[in-house]
Amino acid sequence: MASTQHALLSPAELAYLHASLSLTPPIRPDGRAANQFRPLAAETGILPGTNGSARICFADGTEAIVGVKAEVERTRRGDGGREDGVEYVSSRLEGDFVEGVSSGEGAIAAVDEADRVGESEWVELSVEIPGARDDDAGTVFLAAMLAEALLAGGEFAKKLWINRRFHWKLYLDILLISPPLSYPLPLLSLTTHLALLATRLPRLKSEGDEDPFFDDDWAAAPYLYARKDGKATARPPVSLLVMAVGNNIIFDPSKEELAVADVALAVSVGEETATTTAAEADEAQQQQQPLGRNLRLLSVRTIDPPSRLTPPGVPNATNSAYGAATTQKQPEARAAESEAVEGVWKAPRGGAKALVMAALVQKALMRGGVADEVLDALDAVDLVA
Amino acid sequence: MPITITAPKPVQHPYADHDNSMSDSDSDSQSSMGDGGNNYKNVINMIKSESGSAAAAAAVTKKSGASPTSHSEIVTPGEVITDDPQWMRGHGTFVTPATSAIISSVAGTISRTNKLLSVRPLRARYTPEVGDLIVGRIVEVQAKRWRVDVGATQLASLPLSAINLPGGILRKRTETDELQIRTFFAEGDLLVAEVQQLFADGGAVLHTRSLKYGKLRNGVFVAVSGMGGGGGVVRSRRQVWTMEAANGGGQIDVALGVNGFVWISKHVETPPDLLEKTAGITNVEESVSATMYSSQNDRIEAETMREIARIRGVVTALVENGLRVDEDMVMRGYHEAVEMAMLSSAGPDDIYLGGERGQQLAAALTAI
Repeated sequence: MASTQHALLSPAELAYLHASLSLTPPIRPDGRAANQFRPLAAETGILPGTNGSARICFADGTEAIVGVKAEVERTRRGDGGREDGVEYVSSRLEGDFVEGVSSGEGAIAAVDEADRVGESEWVELSVEIPGARDDDAGTVFLAAMLAEALLAGGEFAKKLWINRRFHWKLYLDILLISPPLSYPLPLLSLTTHLALLATRLPRLKSEGDEDPFFDDDWAAAPYLYARKDGKATARPPVSLLVMAVGNNIIFDPSKEELAVADVALAVSVGEETATTTAAEADEAQQQQQPLGRNLRLLSVRTIDPPSRLTPPGVPNATNSAYGAATTQKQPEARAAESEAVEGVWKAPRGGAKALVMAALVQKALMRGGVADEVLDALDAVDLVA
Repeated sequence: MPITITAPKPVQHPYADHDNSMSDSDSDSQSSMGDGGNNYKNVINMIKSESGSAAAAAAVTKKSGASPTSHSEIVTPGEVITDDPQWMRGHGTFVTPATSAIISSVAGTISRTNKLLSVRPLRARYTPEVGDLIVGRIVEVQAKRWRVDVGATQLASLPLSAINLPGGILRKRTETDELQIRTFFAEGDLLVAEVQQLFADGGAVLHTRSLKYGKLRNGVFVAVSGMGGGGGVVRSRRQVWTMEAANGGGQIDVALGVNGFVWISKHVETPPDLLEKTAGITNVEESVSATMYSSQNDRIEAETMREIARIRGVVTALVENGLRVDEDMVMRGYHEAVEMAMLSSAGPDDIYLGGERGQQLAAALTAI
């Protein structure tokens, strides 16, 4: 797991942050409610040379732009020949914590429906973080997480199918254009979501398996995610960053909040299209979900919180620089780790509690929960392609 | 609603409504000078008007500064401001040896004081000055000194000899002190200090030789821009003060570092047991400085934490809306925020001041 970059905070600060975030309700340093996101400004269609683009800017100044470019590519014959023996990779993950579908470009998620097949290689996703190398573990991990959510279930790759001989190759360029002031996953994911919603591909004029021939009228170009009455009927996934401190579950943590997290998760949530299979309908009924937005858990990844690397605070009892009574001769730089003392920072040890993890995912997925509201808010953004 | 998404705001000139808030005289007000020949004309215009009455000069500069069509208020590095030799170059500009043209060396807005042209940077790092009260963070521990991040171009240094020893003992620093250097300050620790000395390259040397200075605990840190952009911490009479918080929050200390680093914490009196221990001939100073290097927080009530977070929200809201941060603004902003919370649906516990709330707060502050 890639670790997030280290935020240098003093033990006293960490202890204060941890104490205020463990209160019920938690008091966040920026005054937000536990499930509140930072306010953001969003726009789409900012790059005229792309098929779809978006820009999101957080109030704290972090900003990302995403451009989507599409290219026609010949499908390799080998892929076509596999059609009779398509590998089914089960990617239904509802209700269970699964450590992701595959690691990045690993297994091919191909589902054969109405003769359409998609390959995960048809999507190329690149993330650029200023100050970090392209092959930096953190950047690669971010890209893999975003790609994983997008390709989970294979529904997305299927949209790129033109005919048996050709397909669209989609390049997603995700750029963070400000220094990473906080872990950029939610920002990049939301921007990618908007860019994909705004993506249009030229209308296909040719039929069957002949060489593709497209309508050159851009106004007639259909959206990649089909829309009805100005609303998308299906939507790309979003990845949310969720963290827990004590029993509190906190969404969209800032850098300093993440620095005291007991556990941090990246939860990718997709929306099921209206046509659900019988099994899913059953499950929806079990969860008493009425018709409407069917959220589906696509992947859960644990993010190594930087809190584990923080130095412990020194309690007054062992602090030789505290009080006039400096009896101890302790030339060591740091005292050994002690029992928990109130007001002294101690880095969290051990894994997450199962109950907290369950509550965390539940809170994100719940109908009317955070993911639902985030998708609602993203729905309201005017799309200019 | 956990998320608010707004359309991006149209681009605003950072100094558009600046004249009435910051500048102290008319001749200081912002003037617009653009690219190429246009700016030359503007300068000429100003020179002409200067020969007239002062009021006329002010009117001309005001007009050119406020004209909505001029998109060229901002100069970029390398842009020629004027090639008229009568102007003197000020901060943020340079002159090449061969010509007399004044060229901007930073991105910012032009300010003019009589014949002096200078460019105010939109964003700048802190430039230390002797006597500045700053909040800094230790980033490196060396044998005899600490290196402190103060938001300047270079790390400041804090020598071991420039701190108060616990208990207020006055003596030469020994090898034992050098070995124990991390018990005073370790990496990541925050401290409030004063700039004692400047090197020729702009590097600062700090000292904490006062009971006001030392390690920080019991609170939160927020970094805002020190200068530029119209907002940020400005040098003022008082940078550190104790205020009475509303809603039973108790007393809260606020330290506005000139470098734009802000510390907001619970006000703590020296614990009585420590006073007893050191009472006697030695004075209060000793016992006060005994707690100086503690990194253990005291017990802080939820009400105090809430008010601390509210003050932090006020500071960030001030900066996000391009207002200056000083004692007066923070206090007014805080009272305004408390009143806003009273009227809000969530009651006085509502401390969120981001986004629209922050704009409301700023509007209320500038309206008075």
